[in-house]
Amino acid sequence: MPKGIGRIKIRIPRKIKKGAVIPVKALITHPMETGFRKNKKTGKKIPAYYINDVNVYYGDKLITHCDWTIAVSANPFMSFYVKADKAAPLKIVWKDIKGGVYEKTVQITPE
Amino acid sequence: MLLLSVTVVIVSFGLTRSQAADDTGTIKEFKQSVSPEEYQRRYKEFYGNFTEQMAEEGNPADFMVDDGKVLFNKVAGTKGKSCASCHKDDGKDLVGAATRFPKYDASIKGIKTVALQINMCRKKNMGAKPMKYQSYDQLALVLYVKSLSNGMPINVSIDGPARPFYEKGKAFYYKRMGQLNFSCAVCHVKYAGYKARANLISNNRHHADHWPSYRLKWGKTGSLQRRFRGCMKNMRAKPLAYQSELYRDMELYLTNISNGLPIEVPGFRM
Repeated sequence: MPKGIGRIKIRIPRKIKKGAVIPVKALITHPMETGFRKNKKTGKKIPAYYINDVNVYYGDKLITHCDWTIAVSANPFMSFYVKADKAAPLKIVWKDIKGGVYEKTVQITPE
Repeated sequence: MLLLSVTVVIVSFGLTRSQAADDTGTIKEFKQSVSPEEYQRRYKEFYGNFTEQMAEEGNPADFMVDDGKVLFNKVAGTKGKSCASCHKDDGKDLVGAATRFPKYDASIKGIKTVALQINMCRKKNMGAKPMKYQSYDQLALVLYVKSLSNGMPINVSIDGPARPFYEKGKAFYYKRMGQLNFSCAVCHVKYAGYKARANLISNNRHHADHWPSYRLKWGKTGSLQRRFRGCMKNMRAKPLAYQSELYRDMELYLTNISNGLPIEVPGFRM
């Protein structure tokens, strides 16, 4: 894996009330090459390399799925809302077109 | 009568050109167009605070700081040393060191920046290869060393032997170059706070306190000298190499302007 790819940061609120709708913010580092850019020195095309599949699991349940394409920027950042009605791990899985799988889990424990 | 007025216009145009492209060495300083406070107000009005928000939610350069910490403690080179062998674990000795950079070094008879200091240290004390500028590892290490001084005010001295280099950096800042005949100072002193098309031209007070920064335009983290090169390309001038003498002098000049401001790395800019 090249350097600086697939580093993940997920942010959730520190204190969560049961049943509250909480924001989840996730950042992953990835070059997201479109495949259309050229290396200016050699003139060759830089091969496409981007994340095309994102799944979010809350407990065992798949709660969000995203199909991403080349239009998404480098180091993509996503945020969404979850109703925190149970104590369960929140897992986000990113998959890119070269077979890389990056995932991170945070624990949601409503009080 | 018409002919006369045309001649007058041509003569006056010729005069302004020759004054503008002055190569005699004397610097005609510009007056700051707006105060830094007024610039901040205009910035907020024009862009809002979305970069601050994005930086808070997740700055991709934060991961580089962690990587830099690992590199700092990692042994490299023929002498079996790491940075931490001399500067204690995690660089406790280097807290506050970055506030005094760039500074004069007698061994190279010039100005050294943090990046140059790291490479000098690697060559002399560790027997390791110098790092390639703008490579991931190099930026990560510079970021980590600078992040140790986060929140401390910049205090760059231009007294004594550093003075002639400061003057050189200043002269370079005011030197008109490129096909468009701009100098750095035209935009960032004379017209700072005004708009160039859809951009607000930034004031140079805050130019040197946040590098290396993550830049949305690059989609990557880069150093101040990469920004210098970008600006010189915009002026249609030929950019200089990283850590070349003039860039180091100009970094001294710019950092001195930011004196008193806290270091905030890694930055997050548009």
